[in-house]
Amino acid sequence: MPKAAVFRANSVIYFQGDIEEKIYVLQKGKIQLSYVDMETGKKVNEIIQTGEFFGVKSALGHYPREENAVVLEDAAVLVFTVPEFEQFASQNTRIILKMLKVFSNQLRRVHRQVENLLQNPSMGNAENGLFRVGEYYLKNKMYSQARYVFSRYLTYYPSGKLIEQASRYLEAAEQTLTRYGDGKGPALFANIDQPGQSEKTESDKSQNAQTNPQTQASDSAQNSVVAKKYYDAISLLNQGKAKEALAAFKTVADQNDDLDFKQKALFDIGRCLLALSQWESVIKHFTGIIQSMPRHPNMPDILFYMGQAYEKKGEKERAIGFYKKVLTMDTDEDSPIHIKSKKALTALGGA
Amino acid sequence: MSDLSNFSRFARTFQPGEIIFSEYEPGDSFYLIQSGKVKITKIVGNIEKNIDILQPPEIFGEMAILEGAPRSATATAIDTVKVLEFNRANFEILMMGNPQIALRLLRLFAKRIYDQKRRFMLLTLEDPQARVADVFLMLDETQTAINQAMSPDLTESREFHITVDDVAHWAGMSSADVQAVLSHFSNQRRIELYQNRIIVKNINEFVRFVNSRRKKID
Repeated sequence: MPKAAVFRANSVIYFQGDIEEKIYVLQKGKIQLSYVDMETGKKVNEIIQTGEFFGVKSALGHYPREENAVVLEDAAVLVFTVPEFEQFASQNTRIILKMLKVFSNQLRRVHRQVENLLQNPSMGNAENGLFRVGEYYLKNKMYSQARYVFSRYLTYYPSGKLIEQASRYLEAAEQTLTRYGDGKGPALFANIDQPGQSEKTESDKSQNAQTNPQTQASDSAQNSVVAKKYYDAISLLNQGKAKEALAAFKTVADQNDDLDFKQKALFDIGRCLLALSQWESVIKHFTGIIQSMPRHPNMPDILFYMGQAYEKKGEKERAIGFYKKVLTMDTDEDSPIHIKSKKALTALGGA
Repeated sequence: MSDLSNFSRFARTFQPGEIIFSEYEPGDSFYLIQSGKVKITKIVGNIEKNIDILQPPEIFGEMAILEGAPRSATATAIDTVKVLEFNRANFEILMMGNPQIALRLLRLFAKRIYDQKRRFMLLTLEDPQARVADVFLMLDETQTAINQAMSPDLTESREFHITVDDVAHWAGMSSADVQAVLSHFSNQRRIELYQNRIIVKNINEFVRFVNSRRKKID
C-alpha cells in the first residue's frame, strides 16, 4: 500500500543524483521540479499539478534522479514503491498509456538531439548502411540474410544510388542460395573482399574456413547441438581432416531431429569420401542420394562429383555422361559448377 | 503472461535464421516475443556482433515509436519464433488489455530515454580524448552491476570486450581518430589494447579526467 506523507514548504523531497526508487503523486500543495536543460544549459522549473505523478522515469529505469523536487507550499503526497506503483497502474491502464505518450515524446526529442550531435545523422546513412549490411551477409555466404536485406533495399530505395548493384547482388544471393544453400558455395564477388585477401597464407585460409561455418551456426540454430556438430565437421573437412570429418558427418546424418542438417551432412559425407579417394564409395553414396532425394539442393554438385569419381576410376564415358547432365541441369554458364563441368568435359574430349 | 489469444491477427512466425528486421531498415513496427529466441546483432567493421538474445515475453524494436528512424540493429530468429507485431497506430489496442505489457514498454522507454541522454552528454564533450574516455565510463555504468556481482572486491581496473570500431560508434568519431586517441592512452599506460578487448587501468582516473573536461553549465 502506498504511504501518505506530508512535506513542509522549502523542504526537498529528493535531489538530483539521489538514488532511491520511490514514485510520488501530489495530492495537495505545491511542488516544483528543477533541472538544467542538457541542450540549452538553462535552468528549467516545472510545477507539478495536483494528481500528477513524479519521479516515475528514474524509478522505473533504475537510475539516479535527474532533478530536484522542491516543496514550495506545504504538500501532501502518496509515496509508492515500484511494485506498489506497478500494482496500481495495472488496474489503471489509461495512466500507463498516458505516461507512454509522455515518455515516447521525450524519447523522440532526446533521440533527435543526439542525432543532431552526430556528424553523420543516421537517416542520411541509412541507405548506404542497409546496402553494406547486405554486402556483409553476401560476403559471409549468409545468402538468405543477404536476400532479405537487398530486397528491402529495392523496396525502400527504388531510385537509390546503389539500385543496380543491389539488384545484381539480390539475384546472386538467390541463385547461390538455391544452388548451394546458406554457408556454402564459392566465394562470391572477390571484388568486394578486402584488397590483398587473395594473398593470404595457408593458415589464414583455414582460419577463414572455420569462421564462416561458425557464424552460420550461431545464426540459424544457436542452441542446436546438431548444428554445432555439423559445423564442427565442416571445419574438420576444411582443415583437410577428411577422416575425422567423415565420422562427424555420419553422426549428423544418423540423427532425425533436424532434417535440413541431415540432408546437408549426407551430401558432405560424399565430399569426404572424395577427399579420401574412395571412388567406389563416392559413387555408391551419391547414387543413394540421387535415388532417395532427387530434389536435393546440391544435385548439380552431386552429379559433378559422380563424374569425378568415375573419371578417377578410368570410366571416361560414364564421367562424360555425368558432366553433361550437370550442364543440362545448371544452365547458368557463369556458375562455378557449370564451368568446372565444362572444363572437365573438354579435358576428356567429350565437349 | 496475460491472455493474448485475441491478438492472433497481429501474430507472425519466423523460421530459424530468418531476419525479422535489418539494421538501417526504416522501422515502423515493434514486436512482442511469444515463443522462441531472437538474436540482436550489429555489424561493426567486418564482424557481426551479438548484442543480445531475447526471449518471451520481451519486447524489441520499440524504437519504431520514433517514426521512420532506421533500426539500430538486426533482429534474427534463432529458432522458430512467434511474435505479435504492432505499430504506432494499433499498439494502444494491445496495451489497453494488457497492462503488464504496457508496463514493460514503459520501463523500456524510461531506460531508453536515460541511455539517449547519457549518449547526448557524451557527444557534447568537445575534447576527443575526453569523449573516448567517456565511452568507457558510459559502458561501465551499465556493466558495473554485473561486474560487482562477479567479483565483489572490484578494483579500479575494468575490462571491456569491445573493439576500436565499437568505441568509434559510441563516440561518434572516425575509427582512425579513435585509434589515435587509444594509442595515446596506451602509451601513457592508462589502458591496455588487445584485439577484442580493452582494459582501462583506473576507471576513477577516467571519471576525474572526463569531469575536468566537461563544460560547467550554471
